[in-house]
Amino acid sequence: MADIDTKSGPSITPAVAPPATPKVDTPREVANKSDKDRLLRAIRMSLDIESATVRSNTQHFNKSRYRAAANFPDYDALKDEARAIKDKSIAALPDLIQTLKNSIRSRNGHVFVANTAADACRYILDVCRWRAAKMVVKGKSMTSEEVHLNHALEADGIEVVESDLAEFILQLCGEQPSHILAPALHYSRERITALFKRKFDTELPLDTGEELTFFARQILREKFLHADVGVTGANLIAADTGTLMLVESEGNIRLSSFAPPVHIAIAGIEKIIPTREEMAPFLELLSMSATGQAMSVYTSFISPPLADPPFAMPSKPLKPREFHLVLIDNGRLKMRDDPVFHEALNCIRCGACLNSCANFQTVGGHAFGGETYSGGIGGSWEAGTSKLENARFSELCTGCTRCVQNCPVRIDIPWLNANLANRLNAIEPSSATKSLLGSMTDADPVDRKAPVSKQFFGNYHYFAKWGSRFPSMANSVDAGRAASTRTDSKDEGNNSFPRVMMEKWFNVDRRRTLPAFPKHTFVQQADNIEPPSSKGREIKVVIFADVFTNYGMTNRGIATMNVLRELGVDVVVSECVPEGRAAMSQGMIATAKQHARLATRELDPHISDGRDIVVVEPSSLSMFRRDFAHLLDSKNRFERFKSRAFEPVEYVWKILEKTGRKPAEVFDISKSKVGHRLFYHAHCQQKTIGAAEPTVRLLNEIGFDVVTSQVECCGMAGSFGYKKDFYDLSLAVGADLFGQVVQQDRDGGTRQLIASGTSCTEQLHAGFERKILHPMELLETLIERQKESDKVAKDTEDAEVEADLEALKRSKREASKS
Amino acid sequence: MIDLAATFEEHATEAAAMVWRVKRTPVALRDVVALATSKAQGIVLTEPEFLPMPLIDGLRGLAGVIPKPHDDELATADVGITEAFAAVASTGSICVSLGRPLVAASCLLMPLNIILLPKERIVERPRDLFNPDMFDGESLKRNLVFITGPSATADMGPLVVGVHGPHRVLILLLE
Repeated sequence: MADIDTKSGPSITPAVAPPATPKVDTPREVANKSDKDRLLRAIRMSLDIESATVRSNTQHFNKSRYRAAANFPDYDALKDEARAIKDKSIAALPDLIQTLKNSIRSRNGHVFVANTAADACRYILDVCRWRAAKMVVKGKSMTSEEVHLNHALEADGIEVVESDLAEFILQLCGEQPSHILAPALHYSRERITALFKRKFDTELPLDTGEELTFFARQILREKFLHADVGVTGANLIAADTGTLMLVESEGNIRLSSFAPPVHIAIAGIEKIIPTREEMAPFLELLSMSATGQAMSVYTSFISPPLADPPFAMPSKPLKPREFHLVLIDNGRLKMRDDPVFHEALNCIRCGACLNSCANFQTVGGHAFGGETYSGGIGGSWEAGTSKLENARFSELCTGCTRCVQNCPVRIDIPWLNANLANRLNAIEPSSATKSLLGSMTDADPVDRKAPVSKQFFGNYHYFAKWGSRFPSMANSVDAGRAASTRTDSKDEGNNSFPRVMMEKWFNVDRRRTLPAFPKHTFVQQADNIEPPSSKGREIKVVIFADVFTNYGMTNRGIATMNVLRELGVDVVVSECVPEGRAAMSQGMIATAKQHARLATRELDPHISDGRDIVVVEPSSLSMFRRDFAHLLDSKNRFERFKSRAFEPVEYVWKILEKTGRKPAEVFDISKSKVGHRLFYHAHCQQKTIGAAEPTVRLLNEIGFDVVTSQVECCGMAGSFGYKKDFYDLSLAVGADLFGQVVQQDRDGGTRQLIASGTSCTEQLHAGFERKILHPMELLETLIERQKESDKVAKDTEDAEVEADLEALKRSKREASKS
Repeated sequence: MIDLAATFEEHATEAAAMVWRVKRTPVALRDVVALATSKAQGIVLTEPEFLPMPLIDGLRGLAGVIPKPHDDELATADVGITEAFAAVASTGSICVSLGRPLVAASCLLMPLNIILLPKERIVERPRDLFNPDMFDGESLKRNLVFITGPSATADMGPLVVGVHGPHRVLILLLE
């Protein structure tokens, strides 16, 4: 062992200064995301610090909700009932406010309708001053966060105590909520322990949730008993009786409304519904959607002021009870008049849209959220109650639609976010480059202010068309890229000049491998295949040549055509036209409408000819089934296409059922070239429109051993994963899916990957160097090989007949000779 | 026909409440409460509205019962005994009617909340208590709290039972 000179010691001074540690943003620093830079910093911060805890907690809520909903007998009916009550309430809002005022005043309560956040704070401050309040205890209230109530009270010297444990944590660390239901969801137990030790300077162990809870409880119990004013929110308010519905688990809201002599409830005007009876459907719906519980621990229905005397302590004499209801407008009436954003007023703040969102699961509300509201629905609320630019974080909504079926009041949140993107595009400055690009791509003139990268992705069909005309040249852009470096964190990507330029101009990340253009498009290939005679083929279909199949994964289109023809269907292929998906994903709604009209005009004659539409790409099918409701001119027009559009495997089922055949009779698993073990990843939008289950069922009935992915979305989401801004987030989301594949491979050997969506396939390719099949490609191998064997049999039969004929001729020749 | 009591018991237990079935006699009730509160220093007892007074009278003599508690005694008592207004089988929830003296405190402030539930006041689903015909429409007129298990939080990492409200909820299902 070498001696160490203890006098001078080993040299610890490096020859060069170490690189400066990059500054880590705090959530508060990046709360306001009105500029893009803060949004990107917030994503980095969340991925670095909060992601693991957020993912674990949101996925737990999400799974619990699915479990609860599956066991709920009349879930959909309850949702319809709740939605109808909300619609009715918002329509009658001015009258309901008046009715509610009368109800509260008849019970000797006070009501104040605050037009602005400042008005609300001023009124509450006046009440506190009038009652000489020194301390206010608060239950969790997002509305009080929205109006910055704590700041207003503290500025006047009043102590504000957050009593919800999550809010208590946030108050200690000075952060904004990261989830509308569980505001400190991003904090792990370990981080809370460190925070408490630092803030309270304690040597107590605080190493378990129980110890932390007990510690906080002791502090807060004293506060409850001595507070002068209690502030709560309200989940709903009944206009007829002035009843507040208060939902919670900890008991702090009950204490805040019961212990202090003055109770102030603060709520947005959209919380009012006509009657107490109509609170019934929300009672079960809210807790089930929020946490998957049948009921939250406490749900109170109180019409304050309460009859019980408030709490009195020897040091705090008994005072009479007083109740104030502060109703907040702060932009809500303007939202009510907005043709799109009035939808957001239906929100009951359950958080289901947050928990079911793959991006939210990965970064939480400090990236996918603003000052107060977060997640998919949060953008509309930030824009409605503050300013449009504050909703920039809604760009993290990829339109995957997984929130749609999980929203208990059926809000089409992706549509709201497409509109936010649309309005954000509209306030961008114009430029000659943008106008030129818009003109080249024939984008609607109102969408030509959208950023260049959005115009590129929104008009992908235009660029794909040109790329497919010169496939060798277009594909050379990505030549020489080592596939194995795709998910390497040190990967700098493809530094070829075209890729560098694509990144600079169009925000296409250099690290993402581009899809290859085929030598011939799907339509061209289909044209070169001689169709069988249409005679006797009663079922008629047009395959919609979507942009992604036509210029990208043509094999799945051809496979679909071949399988349907083998099943006796008369199949034609449409021309390739955009249907609006790409444009809508970039907020270019006018262009999306234009594309939707193009697609439907292309398909009209086919429908009139009695053909059903088969759409290979799930995101395109979702346009026909869902989004055309917003984009086409009439409901009838939407219904015409919705009722006729099918996913390929869905359509296979339709044929099998019509012809009374079983899957295993048609598709022979023994002919499978990829074994029997499959890992199937359904596309997010395909799941939402209910078009994923038929594939799983068919593969199972054929005899495959099918494992399905348990993620909401793969993270690619069309253009999202290509964008430099979001590439890291996209791969972080994808890590869940990759992990599941690896796990399944470990349990019994590699499974064949099957995916229905183009972008899902791209994302899986980023994780695995394997062949990934579309379900129809797999089915084609089963049915095609059967066709080959039939052909062999027929050839043999023909040869035998030929031999017989030859023998006959020979015997005739011999007979004539003799 | 659904067995409301059995369904309630199943779901209340799932929600981390304890359910004991008890005969509706003063002696049986007193014995059970005595067992559950054997180590309690302070017990807060509320007056019944639906159960007969003699049934409750047996509890007044139990050790630890505070006859007329002051508010500072409420803050330090161990046990609150509350009568249920109703219960919901599908969720395992107890519904307590607020307003009568000590009721709100008895089911909120003490670590152990014992709830007396007459079997006939169990309804199938929460929404039944919003039906004007149920219990003469009383459930639409009163201040109510639905209690589904002990207070809990997931804000401190893992799920912790026992926060600002009771840590344990014992439901005595009176048959």
